[in-house]
Amino acid sequence: MIDIRALDALELDGLREVANIGAAHAATALSEMTGRRISVTIPVIRIIRLEDVPYMTGDADAAIAAVLMRVHGDAPGRTVQIFPAESAARLAAMLLGREAVEFPDGFGELERSLLNEVGNIVVGACLNALSEFLGMALVMSVPSLAIDKAGAILSAAYLGFDDTGEYVFCIDTQLYIAERSEPLRAHFLLIPETDALGAILRAMHLR
Amino acid sequence: MSPPIFVRTGDARAAAGPAVLATLGLGPCVAILLHDPVAGIGGLAHAMLPDPAAAPAGAPAARFAARAVPLLVHEMTALGAEPGRLVAALVGGAALFEPLVCAGQRTLGARNVQAARAALAEAGIPIRAEAVGGDFGRSVYFQLSDGRIRVTAVGQPDVLLV
Repeated sequence: MIDIRALDALELDGLREVANIGAAHAATALSEMTGRRISVTIPVIRIIRLEDVPYMTGDADAAIAAVLMRVHGDAPGRTVQIFPAESAARLAAMLLGREAVEFPDGFGELERSLLNEVGNIVVGACLNALSEFLGMALVMSVPSLAIDKAGAILSAAYLGFDDTGEYVFCIDTQLYIAERSEPLRAHFLLIPETDALGAILRAMHLR
Repeated sequence: MSPPIFVRTGDARAAAGPAVLATLGLGPCVAILLHDPVAGIGGLAHAMLPDPAAAPAGAPAARFAARAVPLLVHEMTALGAEPGRLVAALVGGAALFEPLVCAGQRTLGARNVQAARAALAEAGIPIRAEAVGGDFGRSVYFQLSDGRIRVTAVGQPDVLLV
């Protein structure tokens, strides 16, 4: 069993590289989908106390949209894509080619299935790249969308899957979708299970 | 209304009216609210897990529904509340992303609520109101002077529990 707080600098670099490759392919897929330029931040590895999970993206009370997917196979875990309220509304409007609707009240079936589809395509591209890079079989589940308070979503993404150690782990990459006004923002969280972290590090010959 | 005292996840606070205790973004977590209506003293715990069976020794008590109840009673008694007068309310214990959680398992939210109910029964504290379960998150504001409880959820009107 890996102690996530004892990962060394080389291992953390390796995990950031994995996230980088995944996020780059995710960004390409999103760029093809939206026709916009996407920029990706350097992945940040977060190792935080269980108590701090609901505040990971800031205000725990803020309404956000999030697409959660499970990853099965050689490195099981979860991915969570988080769209802040304004970005969710504008992304849906951009893809539907119409004016942005109010979030969350104006979000209907169409907007919801659209965000699920974004999740599908982005995570699919990411996992394909990682499967190839790591030489692992990685299979994704169907997406599940929640439009809810950030604290509820983030705590469900960990606690709901029995990820309840003293400290929890994720690799957080932010995507920016270029727009004439403010860019759209999204968080892309990779949450490998603890055993999967070991498998990934071994695949990269770091263990 | 005085500005709320925000209780963080895995934490517990007791205070006296006119203070307002609040906690934000409850998903599977359960908020346990205790009130002494005569003294106007209340307590709120934001518990994340049912009980500390498998937890490391140093884990904070308020993280667990089973241990948060005696902790709140202790803190409220120190402020002058009378244990025999306490009444309780529970908020939270939802199941988000349920299609992806293993089928057939009882959800963590349900287990949290169950553990809180058991701990309250053990302490002899009646439950006056509940806003639990469902597939959506909640925030809660607890007015200690009169025990009123307001629950908010995304895309839904506020609910006055008491």
